[in-house]
Amino acid sequence: MMKELFPLKQVMGFVFSIVLTAVALIVYFTDMSFAVGMTILLVTAFIQAGLQVVVFMHSGETDDKKSIYTNIYYGLVIALITIFGTLLTLVWDM
Amino acid sequence: MKINNSLPLEYSTEENRLKILGFWIFLGAEIMLFATLFAAYFTLENRIGNGPSGAEIFEITPVLVETILLLTSSFVIGLGIHAMRLGNKKAMMIFFSITLLLGAGFLGFEIYEFVHYIHIGATLQTSAFTAALLTTLGTHGLHVTLGLFWGLFILIQIKKRGLTPETANKSFIFSLYWHFLDIIWIFIFSFIYLKGMM
Repeated sequence: MMKELFPLKQVMGFVFSIVLTAVALIVYFTDMSFAVGMTILLVTAFIQAGLQVVVFMHSGETDDKKSIYTNIYYGLVIALITIFGTLLTLVWDM
Repeated sequence: MKINNSLPLEYSTEENRLKILGFWIFLGAEIMLFATLFAAYFTLENRIGNGPSGAEIFEITPVLVETILLLTSSFVIGLGIHAMRLGNKKAMMIFFSITLLLGAGFLGFEIYEFVHYIHIGATLQTSAFTAALLTTLGTHGLHVTLGLFWGLFILIQIKKRGLTPETANKSFIFSLYWHFLDIIWIFIFSFIYLKGMM
């Protein structure tokens, strides 16, 4: 009965999220270059975000899968253009 | 109303399916909203004027507690949706209640954090950095606050009406919103706090 309420896929998703959070903490607890630290953070953050979408938000379980992913990627592309466009013009002086 | 019993309750009618897709499109717009806040923050994070920098005011312990609280709440509401799909109303309501309690705990820590910042002289008016920081954190915190009330009303409705295609649909959509708030927090945790303390 209790086991039925804790599906393995979601429990593993949670454990993996905790592990990724712990890995991200390496940048706080050890000395490393900015580039290495940012690489670790980008990898752990995006994997964890993807995990939430796929495992917990059930993004790919219905016929709307294509529309849902198209929508997420569209939002993400606009987000990245907004952020990196801003950095390019206002911070990195290019 | 045509009910398809081969699908989970929250997807069981055409209207339900479209409402879920519609909410995903809303979340797409939310991604862009937070992107503009992050863009502003990254542009202004070094403009500290006479105020403190991120490295001076960020503290790892409360941030880590907030992260664990929100991450766990996101997992627990996932269990709630799973219980809902099993038709277990009681377990679903317990999981949703735990989710909201963890969310309230998160909010408590965030309010403490804001009070602390203002106490040490990092207010909205202190510098471009503190303005961008507090606006970004505050927008996320307001979303969580709204979510607490939304979730509470859904719990009341489930208690009154039981699990119907309508209430199940509302609960599922709320769970999407809650997971989304955790996703935004992952980016705040990584690219505001950890990057700032690196």
